[in-house]
Amino acid sequence: MRIWVFTLGLIFVASGGAAEPLPEVVRFNQDIRPILSNNCFLCHGPDEGRRKGKLRLDVEAAAKEEVIVAGKLLESELWARITATDAEKRMPPLKSKKELTPHQIALIKKWIEQGAKYEGHWAFIAPKPAALPQSKPKWGHNPIDRFTAAKLEANGLKPSQEAAKEILIRRVTFDLTGLPPTLPEVEAFVSDKSPKAFEKVVDRLLASKAYAERMTLHWMDVARYGDSSVHHADGPRTMWPWRDWVINAYDTNKSFKDFTIEQIAGDLLPNATVAQKVATGFNRNHGTTDEGGLIIEEYRVEYVVDRVKTTGNVWLGLSVECAQCHSHKYDPISHKEYYQFFAFFNNNADSGKQTRGGNAPPMVNVVSDEQQKLRDAAQARVMSATTKLAARKKAAQPDIEKWVIAAALNNQKQPPEPEGLIAHLPLDDFKGRNTAELVSKKTAAKLEGGAQACDGKFSGGLRVVKSGFVNVKGITPPEWNKPFSYGCWVKPDAANANGAIFSKMNEGNAFRGFDIWLQQGAPGTHIISNWPGNAVKVVGKEKTKAKQWSHIFVTYDGSGKASGTRVYLNGKRLTHNIEADGLSGTIQTPVDFRIGRRSNSAQANNIEIDDVRLYDRALTDTEVATLAGNEPLAPILAIAPAKRNAKQKAALANHYLNSIDKEYKTLTTKKQNAQSELSALNKTKITSMIMGDQSKMRPTYILERGHYSHPRKDEVIKPGVPAFLPPLPKGAPQNRLGLAQWLTRPDHPLTARVAVNRYWSLLFGKGLVKTVSDLGTQGDWPSHPELLDWLATDFVKHGWDIKRTLKQMVMSATYRQSSRVTRELFAQDRSNALLARGPRFRLQGEFVRDNALAVSGLLVRKIGGPSVKPYQPPGLWNEVSLGGNVRFRQDKGEALYRRSMYTYWKRSAPAPTMTIFDAPTREKCLVERPRTNTPLQALATLNDPQFVEASRHLAERMMKEGGKSPKDRVAFGYRVVAARAPKALVSQILSSAFNEEFEHYKKNPEAAAKLLAAGDSKRDESLNTAEHAAWTIVASMLLNLDEVISRL
Amino acid sequence: MNPLYENGLLQTRRELIFNSAKCLGGAALGSLMAPNLIAAPRANNCIGGLAGLPHFAPKAKRVIMLFFSGGPSHIDMFDYKPAMRGFHGTELPDSIRNGQRITGMTSGQKSFPCVAPMFKFKRHGAHGTWVSELLPNIAGIADDVTLIKSMHTEAINHDPAITYILTGTQQLGKPSFGSWISYGLGSENKDLPAYLVMISKGRGQSQALYSRLWSSGFLPSKHQGVNLRSGREPVLFLKDPEGIDRPLRRRMLDGIAKINQEQFSEFGDPETQTRISQYEMAFRMQASVPNLMDVSKEPKAVKEMYGKDTAKPGTFASNCILARRMAERGVPFIHLFHRGWDQHGALPVKLRQQCEDIDQPVAALIKDLKQRGMLDETLVIVGGEFGRTIYSQGALSKTNHGRDHHGRCFTTMVAGGGFKGGYEHGATDDYSYNITRDPVHINDLNATLLQQMGIDHERLTYRFLGLDQRLTGVEGAKVIPQLVG
Repeated sequence: MRIWVFTLGLIFVASGGAAEPLPEVVRFNQDIRPILSNNCFLCHGPDEGRRKGKLRLDVEAAAKEEVIVAGKLLESELWARITATDAEKRMPPLKSKKELTPHQIALIKKWIEQGAKYEGHWAFIAPKPAALPQSKPKWGHNPIDRFTAAKLEANGLKPSQEAAKEILIRRVTFDLTGLPPTLPEVEAFVSDKSPKAFEKVVDRLLASKAYAERMTLHWMDVARYGDSSVHHADGPRTMWPWRDWVINAYDTNKSFKDFTIEQIAGDLLPNATVAQKVATGFNRNHGTTDEGGLIIEEYRVEYVVDRVKTTGNVWLGLSVECAQCHSHKYDPISHKEYYQFFAFFNNNADSGKQTRGGNAPPMVNVVSDEQQKLRDAAQARVMSATTKLAARKKAAQPDIEKWVIAAALNNQKQPPEPEGLIAHLPLDDFKGRNTAELVSKKTAAKLEGGAQACDGKFSGGLRVVKSGFVNVKGITPPEWNKPFSYGCWVKPDAANANGAIFSKMNEGNAFRGFDIWLQQGAPGTHIISNWPGNAVKVVGKEKTKAKQWSHIFVTYDGSGKASGTRVYLNGKRLTHNIEADGLSGTIQTPVDFRIGRRSNSAQANNIEIDDVRLYDRALTDTEVATLAGNEPLAPILAIAPAKRNAKQKAALANHYLNSIDKEYKTLTTKKQNAQSELSALNKTKITSMIMGDQSKMRPTYILERGHYSHPRKDEVIKPGVPAFLPPLPKGAPQNRLGLAQWLTRPDHPLTARVAVNRYWSLLFGKGLVKTVSDLGTQGDWPSHPELLDWLATDFVKHGWDIKRTLKQMVMSATYRQSSRVTRELFAQDRSNALLARGPRFRLQGEFVRDNALAVSGLLVRKIGGPSVKPYQPPGLWNEVSLGGNVRFRQDKGEALYRRSMYTYWKRSAPAPTMTIFDAPTREKCLVERPRTNTPLQALATLNDPQFVEASRHLAERMMKEGGKSPKDRVAFGYRVVAARAPKALVSQILSSAFNEEFEHYKKNPEAAAKLLAAGDSKRDESLNTAEHAAWTIVASMLLNLDEVISRL
Repeated sequence: MNPLYENGLLQTRRELIFNSAKCLGGAALGSLMAPNLIAAPRANNCIGGLAGLPHFAPKAKRVIMLFFSGGPSHIDMFDYKPAMRGFHGTELPDSIRNGQRITGMTSGQKSFPCVAPMFKFKRHGAHGTWVSELLPNIAGIADDVTLIKSMHTEAINHDPAITYILTGTQQLGKPSFGSWISYGLGSENKDLPAYLVMISKGRGQSQALYSRLWSSGFLPSKHQGVNLRSGREPVLFLKDPEGIDRPLRRRMLDGIAKINQEQFSEFGDPETQTRISQYEMAFRMQASVPNLMDVSKEPKAVKEMYGKDTAKPGTFASNCILARRMAERGVPFIHLFHRGWDQHGALPVKLRQQCEDIDQPVAALIKDLKQRGMLDETLVIVGGEFGRTIYSQGALSKTNHGRDHHGRCFTTMVAGGGFKGGYEHGATDDYSYNITRDPVHINDLNATLLQQMGIDHERLTYRFLGLDQRLTGVEGAKVIPQLVG
């Protein structure tokens, strides 16, 4: 029986072997493990729950005990089963839908014959610094080329020649910065004959901010960055400070080690800085929910699961998440080990229920550089005005003395009215129930309800009874951050009266507005944006008396604070109680100003009111005293100058400076304005979400089938790492910080390999291991294993220096090869696995757009900050949004022309032009994007207004900078977009396109005007319309060329 | 050029696109690939799709999914028991609730009064199917449809539930049903994308949707659903810019193609050839999509059949006619969304409005397909992400009540594509709370639907993160043979 099977096996081998030769020595890792992993491990692998027949093939001892006899094919049950013709016996079984190919069977045969040696999975064994290949370096610039050259030689291939300089600089500029080179940059490089010419370019690029942006964009996919919360309402959040942190990290070339530690555990570092906390936002970028009916624990667990998955994919290159419900089917991660890893993140302080409106705790306040600059500037203006005021005060001494002398002579005269009156209701008469407001002619004031005229403090007054009041239309108080003052005379029938004496306040909108009021007879005020959290309320500590006229008054300095609010009774400043202290929002409200009540409440009944005044400055003590009929200066002026004490002298000086001296008053206004600005700036608080742990450790349990509601409470799981990887470093804490230290152990087998492989894929279009996010047993075998190990060890040895590693890669001759495919080369290496030519691939979506903006001159090079909303077709948000009412509001001006990485990323409806070009939704971590080629991409680059507008501007550049003849302009345009000169045929096609469309648009001027109207930016009207339109067509063709949306 | 070399280049292109050994030598180009340049002919005349698919002779060629987002009340529409009248207003017995988890919206409620539908029910068709008075037209086609009354889902809130039902898992990042079809089968239409989506405008707009619901997840993004919108630009950027007419656009594309051809001669990258063909398809789409969307030439009788909203672009009725036109054009996956089915309160009024929007168009679509002989080869799936509770959310009054989310059972309707007519599958208890017979998991239904499309759901896979991923997950979904004739 066995012999018969064997013969059959040979037939398989014979028929399969012809197509693909077997290696001399069959290697377990390279040749056998992928076969076993993909076809057998599901039932005969690490997961004990799923294991069939108690057989496992992933462990050498177990396999050799049961089914493999080294060197003896016919005694090996494995062989018998994979070649059995009996469907009952055949492995893999029919129902698995798996089938071994003849070549795979032949490999297993040879492997058993050669002794069936097992090896540990290559990626789980720490890389050793690989020795450079012995072959003589006939070609190449650096050690990378030694490895690729050896591989080429072994395969009988020669490397391609170096790409043309124009192509090379365009390639490296896109790869390192995501932007095209400018013409001067191209020209400088082409004319630089020094051997260091290319290195100079690379150094320049790596030092640019654009490099940091390009690396950040990639990291945004990895970190699942978004400006919205993903689940349910997908509401807005503010995480761009984290993005700024990443830009800064790449810009300053933070080591990958610190980059890792700060993002995973920056909050746990001793004396963590705000920046280090912001860094941990990496793990707050995950999708969160606000859904009403959610079960909080379910989502809290979901967030932990997401963090485990992301950390596993990104740093370990492993699908750790597969062990959530059961032991991993392929990699040796047990169910329990999963929960050990889970435990690192399970102490999270963020709740399962987060918010649909902004950030959820934990978070930190951050100040952007730009904001800090504005604050510093405002602060400086405050300081400068303060200094000048002091100087003026000093310099004004002679003026003060002069005035005091004159004033003493005129002591009998009334002091002048305080300035800044914006409303004044003397309430003297009520003809036809109307009463006058003296400052503005437009204001209408009318007696309502049971209010009556009465004798006033001066002439007539208002008696408020039976819920009556005076309604005044057209009074607007200054904004919350500007100074103002207000008050009047009152005469309550009883002591301890209550009610709003006058107000402009909307109870319906959290009491927004202001009032002056009596509280148990004591004067006080409310100034409110949102009661009680965003408001000031103070009440004086002395009371008005029954049946007596009292003057009540309030001054406010625009600071938003109780300390800047003063209450006066009869011209005397009162000490006050503070009932609310902290105003930082508008106090404007559409309701009318009312004397005797608020808009609907706080009626002040049985009170007489007179002479209501509102000023747009904070009056001085003296001024208030004057209004109250006190003449505080008169007694002082009556005293002989020599006998006046210091306080009295100061009172005189202050009165002069604040009420009379023009310069001092101007300076005061300046200071107040600067202060207002400062309080407004301080009001806009920006937060960024960060990681935080609970103070008391939350116990972790294994979750049955991964389900949050089925913890196995018999065993508390401690944080830990899988046994097949090195242990936590000695002394490392059992928390996220320990985890980060573990990931960046120099001897970690995965972290550095995964990182350098990812960098390689950014430059070469694919990784040395093609499955960039999976270096586990199901991952691909590396095309150049020694090179990968050399790069990984070199990376660690040189301090995890990202720029250095990237530079090394692009400086290699391997990278610099031409991407042209010759027939011979193609025949031997279709997929370019051997790297005998340079990589050529389409630009990623953001680069396609950024390129159009850059070459047309529209690109705004502002780094960092909040996301922006450039053009997008209408309706894309509201057609999916909760309640259908979330609208996209397009930005204006420079926000339309920022790099695409700053485009607002709403994850339920991301920017369409980017997703059409393969951008992920970023709801989950994605290490490598697919790269497709679809008609929707063609429609976008042909018709998206952003691209049409860019074409118009590129056309403008061609007309202005490209010389006179169409041929010259075509050559210029082509060089701008492709960095090199057009071939004769290309030049001819484009020139005749111009000629034809110029004729067309001459005949169709309306069409030309319509085409040129695309986009918000202005057109240079001095350019001939038909000609400009024709060049716009040529420019649009340029932006749609395969060469232009690819890097060669 | 050497034709063998050419062919080799193009094969490489296929390898690059489909990182999968299954495609070697096959017509492994994406659904959006132009056929004349690249794709090898396939037995079933499809463009794109995987070699070896369909795995067996398909019953159905396409899917029309009418998705009602929010959780339509299965109790008030289909899953009626006369016994409900008897316990109206009484407390939900613990023996029925059985300690099951309920959402945070009603878990704090002190009382759970049961509510019988505030609508009349009658039996319809030869089979005697219970259908609510809210759905008079659907009642009329009861003998053409299968009602699966024993659908269930683990999710109890919208976001996870809708992700689950449309991608086969609650986790994000997986491809939607339609993307799997585009990936596996491609399309027989070379001028339209394989997966089209339409979101209807209606009275109830409250449910959030997400592009992930028609996203291609880890599959190449050309398999993502293309959202066709009502109005002047059904596909984003479909219209030429103002000032560029069709002949001019043609001239531009000819020029671009010539220059790209030069690029190909110089660098030999087959991707360049693909790009040329994609620009051509874009050009064709600019004609084929408006043609598809133009219902003005539909006969009056047909328009009337779909109801009064047919004339209003963007309504569900209008989109149902479009769905039929897409089906006629060979689009393999047509996905309509209708929102507003989340009746936590005011159910008697609001559910009536919702049903008014969809009753006539759904019935008309099925009848229309039938009269054109297309129903047998078209799977029409009608349903939402979960059902609603027998107990009232909020106070129960004589005329008013609400219902909370209920995932333990709900009803999905399937017509055509080999599914039985006049058939009810599975059953629930009198409270329509628990399944008493033949439960059907989302992934079981998906496995069955795939089978009707000629696909073995265990063999439609894509390697991602080390796992051969599939629509129906790894938990052992099974085809339900009783559903199909």
